[in-house]
Amino acid sequence: MHLHSLVLKDISRRKTKLLVAVLGVVVASAAIVAVVTTFSAATGSLYEESNNFGANIIVRPEVRTIPLVTGSTSMGSLFTGENYIEESEIANIYTIMHSSKLSVVAPRLYGVAELGNSSVVIMGVDPEQERNLKSWWNVKGNWISSEGLMHTEVMVGSDIATPMGLTEGSFITLRNGNTSIDARVTGVIESTGGSEDAYLILPLVASQHLLGREGKVSSLEVRALCNTCPVEEISMEIEEKFPGLEARSMSQIVRNELAMVEHTRSSAMAVSIITLLVSTLTVASTMLASVNEKLKEIGIMRAVGASDFQVVSMLFFEGAIIGAVGGIIGFIVGTIASSIAAPLLFQATPSPMWEILLPVTGICVLTGMLASVLPAKKALGIDPAEVLRSV
Amino acid sequence: MSDDKMMIRVQGAAKRYLVGTVEVEVLRDINMGIREGEFVSVMGQSGSGKTTLMNLIGMLDSPSDGNIFIDGVDITGKSQKELVGLRRRTVGFVFQQFHLIPSLTAYENVALPLVFAGEKDQRAVTDALERVGLSHRREHKPAELSGGEQQRVAIARAIVMKPKILLADEPTGALDATTGSMIISLLRSMAGEMTVVMVTHNRELALHSDRIVNLKDGNIAE
Ligand SMILES: Nc1ncnc2c1ncn2[C@@H]1O[C@H](COP(=O)(O)OP(=O)(O)OP(=O)(O)O)[C@@H](O)[C@H]1O
Ligand SMILES: [Mg+2]
Repeated sequence: MHLHSLVLKDISRRKTKLLVAVLGVVVASAAIVAVVTTFSAATGSLYEESNNFGANIIVRPEVRTIPLVTGSTSMGSLFTGENYIEESEIANIYTIMHSSKLSVVAPRLYGVAELGNSSVVIMGVDPEQERNLKSWWNVKGNWISSEGLMHTEVMVGSDIATPMGLTEGSFITLRNGNTSIDARVTGVIESTGGSEDAYLILPLVASQHLLGREGKVSSLEVRALCNTCPVEEISMEIEEKFPGLEARSMSQIVRNELAMVEHTRSSAMAVSIITLLVSTLTVASTMLASVNEKLKEIGIMRAVGASDFQVVSMLFFEGAIIGAVGGIIGFIVGTIASSIAAPLLFQATPSPMWEILLPVTGICVLTGMLASVLPAKKALGIDPAEVLRSV
Repeated sequence: MSDDKMMIRVQGAAKRYLVGTVEVEVLRDINMGIREGEFVSVMGQSGSGKTTLMNLIGMLDSPSDGNIFIDGVDITGKSQKELVGLRRRTVGFVFQQFHLIPSLTAYENVALPLVFAGEKDQRAVTDALERVGLSHRREHKPAELSGGEQQRVAIARAIVMKPKILLADEPTGALDATTGSMIISLLRSMAGEMTVVMVTHNRELALHSDRIVNLKDGNIAE
């Protein structure tokens, strides 16, 4: 028999009483694990998204505003400049210094058209370029081609296909003012979780005709050839080449989103740490109660030869066990919680982070030991002569 | 007295407690000696200071005045740490209420002093249990033992470290007469090997000892 088996026997005898303390640790550990797991999954999915996005740079017309002032009264502001890119200028992009790195340049035109009684967002694309960019789309049916023989070909996102009853082979008529186009649905894009779920996609030329924007493009999605390309530099070159356009690299966008996730993470972490402090108090008060309960036993142990150090070690060991058990259970609970929360909050699917099991349990063990300080002090104050006299 | 070795020597020992603002003198100028291997009974009315005296001899408490020598060593003024080590090796306690740890078996209770002393070899536990005739009860928890058996386990625990002194404070106080006298004969059999000091209210049982020390009003009345 050893000192620690004494403690283990004592713990197993008082399991129900210690449950509260263990639960306190479980809550704290679960909170920490859930926060870490959920947010690292969120960050991971952001990076993945930025890869899946296909395009590294988005080129859009710069929006300039001029304040409208009559006399001294502000009348709001006016958007100036054509908010479109001239299709004829796109080819100039291949004159930038890093042009060899450009693998896909996909023009797009966005607008709204009527389909039956409802409005849909339409996106005109260059089918070949777009297909290179969105190779990961699952299309039920076929991709559109530039020239339909009889009809314009369109693809629809899953969010509009179902309510409108559109499937491969459906015929539709798109209207915008007096212009209309007859079209055939060649395919339905399975949900990607992105904005295209709500789009109707058609060839660029058809969209320009329908929207009355011949030769115009809303934006360009540009993919650089390599993963480690100097996308920021390429963006700058594009901006220099096209005054009035702004080129934003995806990494910039992801960085902004990351900053937001990071911010949320810090607040969640702060809450977890407060939970940890509260749980320290729970453990401390439970153990203090147990020391009070065991006054006589501690007195007996001291009378039969336990030193101060041994009495304190036993209490610290008890605290450490409570911390370890709570920490491990908390890890499991937190992992399960984040597997429920992360998909809801961040559309991310986390996997158990085994690498944090040890550090989290370690923190909980330290918490348990910290919580033992006060009970240990109390135990040291026990005078065996005193407690053994009062039977 | 002079040819035999003094195991316990109390010299002008006093014990005072502060109760509120009033100082209560529980023991006054106690002088006594107990020889090695002697079996001494301490008697006296309730509140006469018997337990207090036992605690002083057992190094659980220290005197307000005077000196106490255990096996020739002055224990007054020794540090808490030194006392723990000394107590482990020199004194075994038996209490009226047995004071066993309920979650531990008889064997484990007896092993406790060895555990605290860091002694790995636990053969002494088996010997001690045999000595009190409880080898067959070693796996029983205190609640599964009779009062007499519990007190025998407590005696086994007190002797497992082979101490020089066995201190028994009213060891039969919670037992019926038959069981009580059985415990006394057990203690009697220990005397010689070790010095036994027993507190009792029962004069008949006290007669089994070599000598009776009477405490009255905090002093020895003989
Ligand atoms: N810590 C203390 N503070 C104040 N008074 C105390 C303290 N401990 C003991 N006393 C007092 O000292 C006196 C002697 O106590 P002690 O326990 O030694 O008596 P006793 O002879 O063992 O009595 P009993 O036969 O009832 O066990 C009692 O009056 C008791 O109230
Ligand atoms: Mg007493």
